[in-house]
Amino acid sequence: MYSSLNSKSQDVNGAARRPHTDHSFIPPCQAKCPLQMDIREYVDLAAQGKVMEALQVIRSGNPFPSICAHVCTHPCEEACRRTQVDSPVSIRALKRFAVEFGGDRMVLAEAETTRPEKVAIVGSGPGGLACAYYLRKLGYPVTIFEAHAEMGGMLRVGIPQYRLPRAVVDTEVQRLISMGAEIRTNTRVMSLDLLFDMGYKAVFVTIGAHQGLRMGIEGEESPGVLDGATLLREVNLGLKPSLGQRVVVVGGGNVAIDAARTALRLGIPSVDILYRRSRKEMPADETEIKEALEEGVNIQYLVAPVNIKRANGDLCVTCVRMELGEPDARGRRQPVPIEGSEFTMKVDTLVSAIGQAPQMPGGFGIRIGRGSTIQVDPLTLTTNRLGVFAGGDAVTGPATVVEALAAGRQAAHRIDDYLQHKYPRPVSTNQPVMTGELDQQTIELVRKIGRFEPLYLPVEDRTRDFKPVESVFDWESAVNEARRCLRCGVGAEILFQDKCASCLNCVRVCPYHVPYIDMAGTIIIPPDQCQACGICVAECPARAIVMRKPRERRHIADELDHIVKTAAQSKARPLLIGFLCQYGLFGTGTLAGLWRSGKAGIWIVPVLCTSKVEAHHMLRPFEMGVEGVFVAGCGEQCSRENTDHWVQQRIHKVRKLLAQIGIEPERLQAFVSDKNDGRRLREELERFTEQVSSLCLASILKQEVRN
Amino acid sequence: MIVAEAKNLTEIGKTIAPYGRILVLGCGTCVTVCGAGGEREVALLHDALRLMDMKAGNGKHVFLECTLKRQCDPEFLDVLEEKAANVDAVLSLGCGIGVQAVAERLPDLPVLPGVNTSFLGMAKEWGVWDERCAACGDCRLDETAGICPITRCTKGILNGPCAGTKNGRCEVSKEMDCAWVLIYQRLENMRQLETMRRYYPPRNFRAIPRPKRVLSKINAAGGGHE
Ligand SMILES: Cc1cc2nc3c(=O)[nH]c(=O)nc-3n(C[C@H](O)[C@H](O)[C@H](O)COP(=O)(O)OP(=O)(O)OC[C@H]3O[C@@H](n4cnc5c(N)ncnc54)[C@H](O)[C@@H]3O)c2cc1C
Ligand code: SF4
Repeated sequence: MYSSLNSKSQDVNGAARRPHTDHSFIPPCQAKCPLQMDIREYVDLAAQGKVMEALQVIRSGNPFPSICAHVCTHPCEEACRRTQVDSPVSIRALKRFAVEFGGDRMVLAEAETTRPEKVAIVGSGPGGLACAYYLRKLGYPVTIFEAHAEMGGMLRVGIPQYRLPRAVVDTEVQRLISMGAEIRTNTRVMSLDLLFDMGYKAVFVTIGAHQGLRMGIEGEESPGVLDGATLLREVNLGLKPSLGQRVVVVGGGNVAIDAARTALRLGIPSVDILYRRSRKEMPADETEIKEALEEGVNIQYLVAPVNIKRANGDLCVTCVRMELGEPDARGRRQPVPIEGSEFTMKVDTLVSAIGQAPQMPGGFGIRIGRGSTIQVDPLTLTTNRLGVFAGGDAVTGPATVVEALAAGRQAAHRIDDYLQHKYPRPVSTNQPVMTGELDQQTIELVRKIGRFEPLYLPVEDRTRDFKPVESVFDWESAVNEARRCLRCGVGAEILFQDKCASCLNCVRVCPYHVPYIDMAGTIIIPPDQCQACGICVAECPARAIVMRKPRERRHIADELDHIVKTAAQSKARPLLIGFLCQYGLFGTGTLAGLWRSGKAGIWIVPVLCTSKVEAHHMLRPFEMGVEGVFVAGCGEQCSRENTDHWVQQRIHKVRKLLAQIGIEPERLQAFVSDKNDGRRLREELERFTEQVSSLCLASILKQEVRN
Repeated sequence: MIVAEAKNLTEIGKTIAPYGRILVLGCGTCVTVCGAGGEREVALLHDALRLMDMKAGNGKHVFLECTLKRQCDPEFLDVLEEKAANVDAVLSLGCGIGVQAVAERLPDLPVLPGVNTSFLGMAKEWGVWDERCAACGDCRLDETAGICPITRCTKGILNGPCAGTKNGRCEVSKEMDCAWVLIYQRLENMRQLETMRRYYPPRNFRAIPRPKRVLSKINAAGGGHE
């Protein structure tokens, strides 16, 4: 008698078990992402080499993943708890891997117009593009108005091409056009009334922050002084500004670094950055500072210009040295000039990159606040004018691409609410966020695996032109990097407390010593320490422990069910079923041909770590007439502890049962993959196939003799 | 706690042979803890028995499974009314007490043991169990430094050690600690070595009537449910 593999166990009292709900936590990376992307999920898919699936997850949370894959400031990596063990997971680089290998460029975007209300978007930066994307998805006709000749806002006129190739932005714009968004470039909107007169029912203002802030020092208007955003805009639009031989950039943010690196690429031999605090306080991204230094930018810390004079064709910049004084209210130590430390530099061009502010045409009639930013209601993004919404840098001041994307998406939904007269619902989720640090003990027990980095262009090749500096991960590094994810918040839980016999198996088997006994004698599995290896789930004699995600609870049984049904139709003999780890070598695809090339009918049940294969999973296939079963783990590449040990324990137990039943125990085997090309595994498997074949033959003979 | 061990499948196969519908009944207490008869083992045994049926080519059995909180308390057995309604036999993975409790509840059904009840003991570590108590009904652990010579001494002698002790090990097996050496060492640690000098008269096992019963109540009116 064969019942479905899943519906086997019944509840003691005949009542239905608690509903199969998701008890997972939102991981810290996702909580930190302004778009709330399901990072843990796509990183896991990348670890299995499932790039298409990973891309699908990414696309469901991000309208322009290829852009973020290049330039996102990845706040997720700052939140990554792997940092406590060694270093954070390279989430952005993994996204780029999934985007490029998953074929994001081929993805077709379509949208249908189902609503009559037209919406105008002012500004085509990431905020505007995202809003247009989601409004099209919601069925609204949209028009994007852009002052420049090119679309993309700072993506196009700010961020240099060596970090974000132009083609990436073009692809996204093309996709928007094919989704039916109307585009008006070279159109600076000066009045919103006009837009309403033209029949637009709502307006989203994302004009960014493009006006360079003034340094407030004497001589700032001298020829040869320009601001960073302007320099980058000119270069990005194909102009070749003549900057002379010596350039000095003032500022410590990403714009300053980009301006300096751009100057190098224009062939300027001497490029300095002046920053008034020390390296520790520098707001620019750490990797970018590193790259700039590698390329030959000279950063002078604790220096600020105080005066600029033009003399004999030189720009004489008088600077003063600083020291760090008392921390201010925000805890930042304020630079204080050191008396008498003035010195003068002779340069050809000074680029000031100390920040930008939005520049809003007076005709908009919307209220602005501190730093000329537009004031909005944070929940609805509404301004003081009915039907006018705003977001992105224009509201926050200079921020990031991903924040602008999030604002664009939020605006699209709030505009939809507004146009349909719906009350804006705050997006609520009752899923808790995983907080808390890893305990020292857990940190010590987690296997240390250093971060894999994608390849970078050699320094000497970088500054000649605007070629992209970072390349995409190769397949193997990506898979290995993705495996470093600790899978925060999807671990094991004692779901059926009533069944827990307090046997302490979980306490004893956990390789990370996570479960503990509290003062009352109750067993607790703290979710913030659990590493989701699944060993205790498979070892709990009461089956009280489950994985927090319902899909993971059923995963192996479902896959086995499916494979067994398909395999039953196959004629190839002997019929073998293997539980194969999907990570490591298997994720790289190296072993894809493994079972197809074999003579035998080898069928694979993909498992996410062999430590989750339970004894009854190993026994099941025999009942279906399968002649041999094997479990193949990823061996040395395993990112977890003890997996092989537990596979061996269970194999031992099932073999004993097989022997008692009268089935040769050798029909059940465990293999581990070797690190390189899987040849050893292939050979072992061939030997196993032969062994099973001869066992089959022997048992047929025995049967005949008996008859 | 009671420690049990799974019976050999061949033996189980023989005992269930005459019956068609069989309820495999687990117990959620001691045998769950020692990994012999909890829900996981019930499910595994269920699978193994079906495979055995298939191998023998006579798929005549139908198995049902269920795991009770505790088989040895009558109140927990009420669900059997429904669970065992249409079966020909019950295969209990409870200890010997569980099997008897279930048998008592189901007067006209065969109740078969699925495990061998081994001893009263404790876990040494994951997957290793040691005997500790013989349930003799006359506890003397106060005099033997908390170490039971009846279960831990191979010979169960009350005035040890015997002449077979060598380097703290028992003559029966070099792997085994001599219980009396352990007792000596503990008494020494506690500065109570003089206890060793005493002689313990042999116990009269005949004097202990079986079956034993523990009474913790007096016969008075009222009280719990009848
Ligand atoms: C040099 C530089 C490097 C950066 N690097 C990064 C990075 O690596 N990672 C990151 O996350 N962020 C980076 N940023 C920040 C990021 O680019 C911005 O936060 C983001 O582009 C803001 O998007 P937005 O849509 O709000 O505005 P913007 O991208 O600024 O777009 C606004 C658009 O509106 C148009 N516009 C303005 N006024 C009008 C008008 N009246 N009518 C019509 N159109 C108008 C502008 O021409 C512009 O195209 C960088 C910024 C700069 C300047
Ligand atoms: S380890 Fe994984 S789940 Fe945890 S924060 Fe890092 S990427 Fe997210």
